[in-house]
Amino acid sequence: MTRGRCAGLSALALGLAAAAMLHGRLAAPPVYDGIVVPPEPYRWESPPPNLRAGNKPPLSGDATLPVLKGQVAGGGVQTADNQTVIYFGPGTFKAPGGTQTVKCTIAPDPSPPTPPAGVEIRGNVYRIGCVAQPGNAPVTLGSSYHLTLRFPPGAFKEIQYNDGNGWRALPTLRASGGDPYASVNAPGFGEYAATAPSGATAPGESIFSVLGRYAPFYGILAFVILFGVIAIVQEIRRRQRRAPTPSQKRRR
Amino acid sequence: MIRVGLAAPRRAVGLTGLVLGAALIRALLLPLGDLLSTLVFGGCLLAIAWVERTAPTLPSPASGGGELSVLSRVSGGEEGPGPVGMTGSLVAGLMVGAVFVAPLTLGSLSARGLNGFWTWAALAAIIATLEEIAIRGTLYRRWADEAGPVAAIVAGAVVFALIHLPRYGWGAMPLDGAVGLALGGLRALTGRVAPCAVAHTIADWGAWFWA
Repeated sequence: MTRGRCAGLSALALGLAAAAMLHGRLAAPPVYDGIVVPPEPYRWESPPPNLRAGNKPPLSGDATLPVLKGQVAGGGVQTADNQTVIYFGPGTFKAPGGTQTVKCTIAPDPSPPTPPAGVEIRGNVYRIGCVAQPGNAPVTLGSSYHLTLRFPPGAFKEIQYNDGNGWRALPTLRASGGDPYASVNAPGFGEYAATAPSGATAPGESIFSVLGRYAPFYGILAFVILFGVIAIVQEIRRRQRRAPTPSQKRRR
Repeated sequence: MIRVGLAAPRRAVGLTGLVLGAALIRALLLPLGDLLSTLVFGGCLLAIAWVERTAPTLPSPASGGGELSVLSRVSGGEEGPGPVGMTGSLVAGLMVGAVFVAPLTLGSLSARGLNGFWTWAALAAIIATLEEIAIRGTLYRRWADEAGPVAAIVAGAVVFALIHLPRYGWGAMPLDGAVGLALGGLRALTGRVAPCAVAHTIADWGAWFWA
């Protein structure tokens, strides 16, 4: 085996072994060309009839956070399907004396409270709560925390919060770029849901916005394919020009 | 000949800068959208490979110099296609791709259906192939000519890790570097770019079903 191939075999073995070991230790996306994989379909707790087939149930999430001097350090919790995420700073949660850790849980609610008249819940209702450990004593909230909720395709207006005394709307910031996420400053523990006025439909798109969405993709894709075809044709022609003619072969 | 061996690989370094520059342009264009920035990046890689295809290579006892082509030609310090042939090389690419995907399959299947897969898969395949043509084709050949195959493999792995830095951050660099090393090894072993493109594309496609 030549030196180059020997180096190649060594690099291949080393690279494959290292990649296999690093895969389990890194949360890095396993895509090597930098293309974002589209998000999974929305996971419904109670899917509409037309989405029942193929629906996967939503996942919950929890985290156990250390307590230092009666305060929970900042951190975050998210559901395993990334449909709900909360972030909070140091001191957001205050734990009773003797608390060693605080366990925060986000879980989809299979039987949520009825929405107010004229409002439709869009997607799942999530119950968010934190308890002190040991003992499962309640944790008080020193300030609001940040909540991001994914909503399903269709109408959306705002996130509403239910602390056990009825639903109320929260000032909601919708993600830019058409991403199906919205955020609020969550005022407490309880239930949160994406909502829209009853019977509302998603705003329609103009022909220009549709063209604007697809033109870059298909335009540049066409450019790449055209360029590729020209490159291959040129290469074939170049090789044909280089190939010795039968008369040249005979002369040799 | 000795002078050639000791000379700094200036053209290879310049070409490396061009590929990294393409990745930088992509990072700068990210605010305009992932799709647009990715396709501009692909266009830049294609342009680099296109311009370099007729660039002269260093003379060597094996070839006497010549033009640089991304498709098959051998020149300078590089060896020819391996003894396994094109079919064997592609099988090797498939196997390496399967090894890349294997750790993913230990996780649960994603809920993504096949509806949006084909468009995404076509784009992923094009970009992966362009990356391989630029890094394992043009760049590899230039580094192999000027500094030898080991330098070509290592330079390719470093560039591969760096061009993914804006998207995935420092945490992903060791993994991307390892994958780049394996793809460079596959390139050196088979003498072809196609198996690297196959392995890379399969690894990308796996992310749809398992990530």
